[in-house]
Amino acid sequence: MMAVFEKSERLRHIGHLDIMRSTQRALRRSGLPVSYSKGFNPHILITFASALSTGAVGKNEIMDVTLDSEVSPETFLSAMNAAMPPDMQLKSAKALDDKHPALMAMVQAAEYDLKLLDADTAAKCVAAIPAFLEQESIMAMRKTKSGIKECDIRPLLFELRGEGEHIYATMTLTEHMSCKPDMLVKALCDFAGCEVPRVLVTRNALLGHNEQGELTRLELL
Amino acid sequence: MFSEKIEAMLEKVQKAPRYTGGEMNTKLKSWDETDLHFAFCFPDTYEVAMSHLGMKILYAVINQQPWSLCERVCMPWVDMMALMQEENVPLFSLENRRALNEFDVVGFTLQYEMSYTNILAMLKLGNIPLKNADRGQDDPIVVAGGPCAFNPEPLADFIDAFMVGDGEEQIVELNAVIRDWKKSGEPREACLKKLAAVRGVYVPSLYDVSYNEDGTIASFAPNCPEAPEKVVKAIVTDLDKAFFPTEIPVPYTEIIHDRIMLEIMRGCTRGCRFCEAGMLYRPVRERSLEHLVELAEKLEGATGYEEISLSSLSSGDYTCLPELIRELMKRLNEKRVSISLPSLRIDSVLKESLEETQKTRKTSLTFAPEAGTQRLRDVINKGVTEEDLIEKVNDAFQGGWSSVKLYFMMGLPTETYDDLDGIADLARKVVSAYFAVPKEQRAKGLRVTCSASVFVPKPFTPFQWEPQDTLDVVQGKQLHLRDALRKVKGVNFNYHESGLSFLEACFARGDRRMGQVLLSAFEKGCMLDGWTEYFKYDAWMDAFKECGIDPAFYAYRRREKDEILPWDFIDSGISKEFLWREKCKADRAEVTRDCRQGCNGCGLQRFKGVCSFCE
Ligand code: SF4
Repeated sequence: MMAVFEKSERLRHIGHLDIMRSTQRALRRSGLPVSYSKGFNPHILITFASALSTGAVGKNEIMDVTLDSEVSPETFLSAMNAAMPPDMQLKSAKALDDKHPALMAMVQAAEYDLKLLDADTAAKCVAAIPAFLEQESIMAMRKTKSGIKECDIRPLLFELRGEGEHIYATMTLTEHMSCKPDMLVKALCDFAGCEVPRVLVTRNALLGHNEQGELTRLELL
Repeated sequence: MFSEKIEAMLEKVQKAPRYTGGEMNTKLKSWDETDLHFAFCFPDTYEVAMSHLGMKILYAVINQQPWSLCERVCMPWVDMMALMQEENVPLFSLENRRALNEFDVVGFTLQYEMSYTNILAMLKLGNIPLKNADRGQDDPIVVAGGPCAFNPEPLADFIDAFMVGDGEEQIVELNAVIRDWKKSGEPREACLKKLAAVRGVYVPSLYDVSYNEDGTIASFAPNCPEAPEKVVKAIVTDLDKAFFPTEIPVPYTEIIHDRIMLEIMRGCTRGCRFCEAGMLYRPVRERSLEHLVELAEKLEGATGYEEISLSSLSSGDYTCLPELIRELMKRLNEKRVSISLPSLRIDSVLKESLEETQKTRKTSLTFAPEAGTQRLRDVINKGVTEEDLIEKVNDAFQGGWSSVKLYFMMGLPTETYDDLDGIADLARKVVSAYFAVPKEQRAKGLRVTCSASVFVPKPFTPFQWEPQDTLDVVQGKQLHLRDALRKVKGVNFNYHESGLSFLEACFARGDRRMGQVLLSAFEKGCMLDGWTEYFKYDAWMDAFKECGIDPAFYAYRRREKDEILPWDFIDSGISKEFLWREKCKADRAEVTRDCRQGCNGCGLQRFKGVCSFCE
């Protein structure tokens, strides 16, 4: 069963592992026929399409739960919403067949709403976007396990626009390559010649490719 | 109001989930639609607070009343505290993020003496005057309960009213008094006097103390007719009828006890002479098996926890323990809930239940012989023999355990170096028991941990008259034991910061004058004393000096039989005569039977229908 859920602002500092554990407990509370892994330390079979980083709000996050017997999406939704805390409610659910590819491998990009909590900086950044996108390459710093690496994020940007204090960005997000919000904001601020302000990151949607190869919301695929 | 600032602060702190709230089963009640707002303050970090069963019970009890709301407040960690001061954000509750001084009642739980500086820190961060004498009409009523409330005197300057005894019924009554007083518009003093009439409530400002030249108490008496001469602890007689929450908060982050805690009984019948809890929580009251099974199922359903522990001072003594465990296994196994018994007592571990728990998980087993020789165990009335211990350890090793923790105390009354050598002896026998199990049958990787804490004489125990070992003596003993245990292969030795136990001893049996020391130490930056990295022993000693108070008077002095002790005005149910009798028996290394074998006349028999073992 694939389900779309929200991680609200109150919970934005809860890390991915804690969200996972809490969801597993909610599944246990729900009384739904969840499947457990085999082996010495059985755990509930659940995967998340993409880990949401600590500090970010998620409007349409996606989980996939394996069930032992058939349950209608409506039943799943109402049982889970009774069992989930108010700040982590499900929006929709859809049954997936067993042959459905792993959600994690389907994710290609994500839509972000980046609220810059400094009006001046926001205005400068929004104004700088057209010129920013004109650049052939945009070098940004990427934190990896082996240290900080430089990489070109220009090819990773699908869409970038600004309005008021908000920057709306659609960027690559795959298991191998992705552009993180902080990388973009840093590069944009550098370009606009201002300090990086506090940013409220909201991930609005996870995107995959439809049959035509166009970016489409994962839950609609 | 401060929410924006708080959000910005949370981006900078180490563990933001400590401050976010919104956990499953927490209650977000409407502030405006409730008459009484209670802030449950835990003077320690979130992880400790949320592991505490008493907090969960009272949180739920208060929220269950339609007219009252309860929100949680924990001690912020150093990084958060610094930011709060910088940004001028007051200490706030986890639910509605209200400032502490907006609440009508601010209630602290007193689990441990060395959390007292945290109480002052929280009051200060919450913009509430530290001293009760300085609080005005609009300041919250500051109350405190929990085990340390049985000797409330060191906090007498800071707390408006103490709650002594079982809290789940008393707190509703206390809140109702405060609610009615708020509506009446009467002065604050009127509220305090009314509170003094609630069973188990002690209002320190209504009592006067005078001292003898030698520093001991000359008199202690109420200064108004409303205050009772003796404050009798509140007792819940029937736990099956008492409220026990099934919807307990489930934190997002990992806490210390991240599991269901099912209180199967309250109190302990053993009568260990060093154990304050064993005396304070008398008499034993058991929940019925049927009720427990029902509670366990509801708790599982409401929390989704994977583990349940049976909690009490001595769970192994629960009358139908094997039946209970079997029944719980039957109902909870298919839900994949494992059952753990936390405070296994070495003479009550049932082989059978050992075998059953092992089906689920093999953590390390804990034993608490407390003393190294039979003589000393008789002195403290720890009815445990070496044969018991070795037998149980044997069973454990044969059952596949390889990790054992042994808990001891050093500095017990009458202790000699022979008793310390006895600890090393016992550890050696435990190690041999492991090697006696054939290699193929035992689990690999023997780990024996020996922990020795420093004995702190506590009020309402037969040792309340005893001196604590001086720091020099303690340190000598620690070195001796360390050397003795070094010779035993496979044993790890842990011992505690002795300065901390010394201070604990001062507060445990302190009187009102200790309040000055507390305040002075706090002003010198003492806080989070329970965390080794923040414990400032020298600052504490300076505080004593500045106040002209000698800590040795509280920690190292032997009290006379007829001395008025600072907590004598509290009736804990146990009589002073019983405690003295027990003290004399301890001097003679004579044991007292378990109450389950017959009443020992501790004083509780005065209250009809309270103790089920004295009828
Ligand atoms: S009244 Fe008797 S049986 Fe009950 S706790 Fe006291 S000594 Fe034990």
